[in-house]
Amino acid sequence: MAVNETTERPTEVTGRTVGTKEQLGAGVLGLGFLTLIMPWASTEIAALVAKSDPYAILSGSVMVLGLFIIAAGIAIIVQRLDD
Amino acid sequence: MATITAAGPAPRQRQQRIPLTYVVTLIPVAAALNIVGGYINGLLHLPIFLDMMGTAVVAIVLGPWWGALVGVITNTGSAFLTGPIGLPFALCNVVGALVWGYGVRNFGMGRTIPRFFILNLLVALAVSLTAVPIYVFVFGGATGHFSDLMTAAFLAMGQNLFVSVFSSNILVSLADKIISGFVALAIIEALPENLTASLPLVKAAPMRTIVVAAGGVVIGIAVMLVSIAVTAKS
Repeated sequence: MAVNETTERPTEVTGRTVGTKEQLGAGVLGLGFLTLIMPWASTEIAALVAKSDPYAILSGSVMVLGLFIIAAGIAIIVQRLDD
Repeated sequence: MATITAAGPAPRQRQQRIPLTYVVTLIPVAAALNIVGGYINGLLHLPIFLDMMGTAVVAIVLGPWWGALVGVITNTGSAFLTGPIGLPFALCNVVGALVWGYGVRNFGMGRTIPRFFILNLLVALAVSLTAVPIYVFVFGGATGHFSDLMTAAFLAMGQNLFVSVFSSNILVSLADKIISGFVALAIIEALPENLTASLPLVKAAPMRTIVVAAGGVVIGIAVMLVSIAVTAKS
């Protein structure tokens, strides 16, 4: 029956698929976007929180983001991307 | 008696490719779920966060780095809606996604309920370890969340700022991640079979999964009540 065939093979009838490569790319994109908006965010946060200053917030954030980007790089190296 | 068994491929087995349609549908919905959860939590001043349920769902179903993307979208979206206070905590959301995603998909931590429970505890620990430096160095230990009361109580006991912030945050985070993890489990159960069939995640009759999820939420609420009681006593 046509309806059953459709429900049994749903991934085959849909178009483009994504795998590990796209997943890691999306993660790196997210981290990059976060890095881009951190200068704005650190200025805004420093204005709200009297104890902080933008440079300290930005440096700390960039350091931590760097660690995550390194983790993403390691994941790209370790992961098999041939799926 | 219904038995709960693990299904799906062995750890480190090659992952299945996912239709792009599922990804572009699930990620915005998960981010919206996080933002709404966090907003409701803020309105009700609950001693939890509720902003990582969508992250858990996506990290487990699609993969850890898709979950990380949801975390970034969540906190960026919240920053534009309610102010930039939550933006540095995007890193906590990313850490949560990585631990949930790699834990279930690569280390088989979702194969049984006890393992999944332990995974939620590990997520809470990892997220707290990330959050504490942000709390202390960026915000001086307080952001206006309920946990600030607990931090103040621990400070009054004579603890230093780092220990106080960590103690209050881990209590809140434990409750939050147990609730989020088990709600995510219930949501995953409701997703299409072809998305979840290959996951090394506990499989049970639908009602059984709901009962397990409800049990997890009850445990999370119990932890939350204990943390409130600790604050009230001190």
